[in-house]
Amino acid sequence: MKIKSLSLAISSAAIMAFGSFLSPAYSAGKDITIVIAEEPDIVDPCEATRSVVGKIVKQNVTETLTEINPADGSVTPRLATSWKQTDNLTWEFNIRKGIKFHDGEDLNAKSVVKSINRALNPKYDCEIRTKFFGNIKLKASATGSHTISVKTETPQPIMPAMMGTMTIVSPNTQEAKGVRDPKGTGPYLFNTWTPGQSVTLKRFDGYWGDKPEVENATYVWRNESAVRAAMVKTGEADIAASIGVQDANDPKMDFSYFNSETSRLRIDITRAPLNDIRVRKAMNLAVDLDGLMGTIFPKGVVKMTQIVVPSINGHNPTLKPWPYNPAEAKKLVKAAKADGVPVDKEIVLIGRLGIYPNSTEAMEAMHAMLTEVGFNIKIKMMETAGWLNFLSRPYAEDRGPALQQSQHDNNNGDAVFSMFNKYACKGAQSTTCDKQVDAWITEATAAIGDKRRDTWRKAQKKLHEEIIPDVQMFHMVGFSRVNPRIKFTPTISTNSEIQISQVKFN
Amino acid sequence: MRKYLSKRILSSLLAITGLFVMVFFLARLTGDPGHLYLPIDAPVEVRKEFSEKHGFNDPIYIQFGRFLEDLSEGDLGYSLRKERPAIDIVLEAIPVTLSLAAVAMTIALLGAILIGSLAAYKPNGLFDRISRVVSLTAASAPDFWIAITAILVFSVSLGWLPTSGIGGLPYWIMPIGILVIRPLGLLVQVVRGSMITALSSDFVKTARAKGVKEKKVIFKHALRNGLLPVITVAGDQAAAIANGAVIVETIFGWPGIGKLMIDSIMQRDFAVVQASILVTAIVILSINIIIDIAYAILDPRIRHK
Repeated sequence: MKIKSLSLAISSAAIMAFGSFLSPAYSAGKDITIVIAEEPDIVDPCEATRSVVGKIVKQNVTETLTEINPADGSVTPRLATSWKQTDNLTWEFNIRKGIKFHDGEDLNAKSVVKSINRALNPKYDCEIRTKFFGNIKLKASATGSHTISVKTETPQPIMPAMMGTMTIVSPNTQEAKGVRDPKGTGPYLFNTWTPGQSVTLKRFDGYWGDKPEVENATYVWRNESAVRAAMVKTGEADIAASIGVQDANDPKMDFSYFNSETSRLRIDITRAPLNDIRVRKAMNLAVDLDGLMGTIFPKGVVKMTQIVVPSINGHNPTLKPWPYNPAEAKKLVKAAKADGVPVDKEIVLIGRLGIYPNSTEAMEAMHAMLTEVGFNIKIKMMETAGWLNFLSRPYAEDRGPALQQSQHDNNNGDAVFSMFNKYACKGAQSTTCDKQVDAWITEATAAIGDKRRDTWRKAQKKLHEEIIPDVQMFHMVGFSRVNPRIKFTPTISTNSEIQISQVKFN
Repeated sequence: MRKYLSKRILSSLLAITGLFVMVFFLARLTGDPGHLYLPIDAPVEVRKEFSEKHGFNDPIYIQFGRFLEDLSEGDLGYSLRKERPAIDIVLEAIPVTLSLAAVAMTIALLGAILIGSLAAYKPNGLFDRISRVVSLTAASAPDFWIAITAILVFSVSLGWLPTSGIGGLPYWIMPIGILVIRPLGLLVQVVRGSMITALSSDFVKTARAKGVKEKKVIFKHALRNGLLPVITVAGDQAAAIANGAVIVETIFGWPGIGKLMIDSIMQRDFAVVQASILVTAIVILSINIIIDIAYAILDPRIRHK
């Protein structure tokens, strides 16, 4: 007995000793570790609109002229203190004085103009240009020591919001090529990048704003959501910027937030039977969104009525989601069939693997519900590369009727970043064409204030009630895990940036 | 032997050349990299401009000519994504995978020799039966599930090991443990089988009749003969890990060649795809040549042919 007890004690001690010997290092002091889903391939601030780059550099290493308030989409000052429209085509921005870049250069009108020109240089495929300024001819010039004018060939009434994407880098930054050690004006210096392992940022003592609490931030990346969640749980990391709903199982650490994504099935309304409005109505009536919430989709998702989330200018709050009414859907299908609409024709449902958690299960559920009311649906799940072949113009002439699983992200403050692309006759991903909606898109794009908002709303209403280019699904939520030793509340922006200066310690 | 090896190296070089050409054309059949590189919302004009600038809309034979021209200057191309020479990226990743493969295969091979030999000593004995069940289970174990479960147990619940990452000894334990399981299970089966045959051979009976000690009979006389099929299987397993221990690299955050290859294929980063396949092919062919040499050392008949 004694021997048994002794061996047990020895074994326990050995296990404890083994455990303590192997214990991993935890985040401590005023340093934090952030775990993100993938390694950045480049960290040039000109790519900061890509979430993997933005989470590291945007508003940490480099700052933008303006900032978009995640709560209501309003535009607030950052490196620009004020702005005004001097004529229909020109905006003037006043640049904050007394600021230095991390390499000691002054922030002034000349350096800002140089930075804008670098971002818009066609020799460099930077995402700020290709995503936001691809169709805009723009000339920036210094009109004073700290004043710039931005002139465009067509009116750009939301130029201040667009400048919320324009990261400003030191004038010494190399042209036409991505950099691996960006220099900006932000509260953190880009310190090290060990490929495959980590990126570190260090507090910039010469920062013009309030001194942040966090001294050093280390970014690491793990593809698996379960691993990211485990890292925060064990104390190896402080923030897991994005985790899957299945791993968000600790109410003390996990936050859910609107992530500005909207999921839908895009209907190709140019192809029969989808060119019949009764068919499109029936599809929306056939989907039991309540049944999907809290099962395949997380509990917090909100039924969509339009492509933009409520905090975006142009969202129409008067629209109501489609009700679940399979009986009415069956009637509409029957009526369409009686009029010769080929409702039995096979419709391909093009899905994308991993576009959001449970994406395959979601498509299987949609397939079952659409089949239930009489449609002939065939699912085709694809990897991103294959799925993209169907998403944008030019579309194949000989294509058949199709629904495409899509998800759209707009946290840039205005519906303009969604509407043209998705619903204009020439929109890169539009499969619909309505002259009135086109005219409203053009009108709203050029308008300001209430007129802009109301014009967007008219377009949203017509799309929702009369055109029905989507099988509407949800405004989505994301999940983050935050270590209780810090104070950080994820917002709609967390998808695209993590402002370390906002992190406080408990 | 030298002649045989020269022939083997020459045929390997031809195979690599053929593979390289095939990868060039197959990669381009997957589509335009611009579709994946540019944001989904990029205007059509920007997409066209991108393809023109990078020559992706040129006829494929012109792209191939350009590629050969660069290759003749020792240039394997530039990563579209990482904006760095593709070969530099690959040469950073391959040592990570090779070190994982080397450690895992050494442990698996030594463990399998020991367990397999002991199991073969008394076929159907208790040790043999236990090792058979365990090794069969290990050989069919799902890596992904084991890795996640191991993290939850050893990192989250017990707090003994780090969840992931690269570092000292603690960081190696789980990735190596996961990598060892399958080859170990497989190799135990192979060692057991070939050792049972070897132990019932005439030369073993002769050795025993001459009074040679049992340990020497098993680990010297029988094992040397029983190792030939083991080397073949071990070589295959080592090549499989060298080809990319994708699951382990992905879950534990080890930046190896497997993950790099998958990512570059998914992103249509052609230069990195080509460079990583070239380097991996060289590694695998080298492993095959090493296996041939090991065969020759162990089996004098091959040496003398």
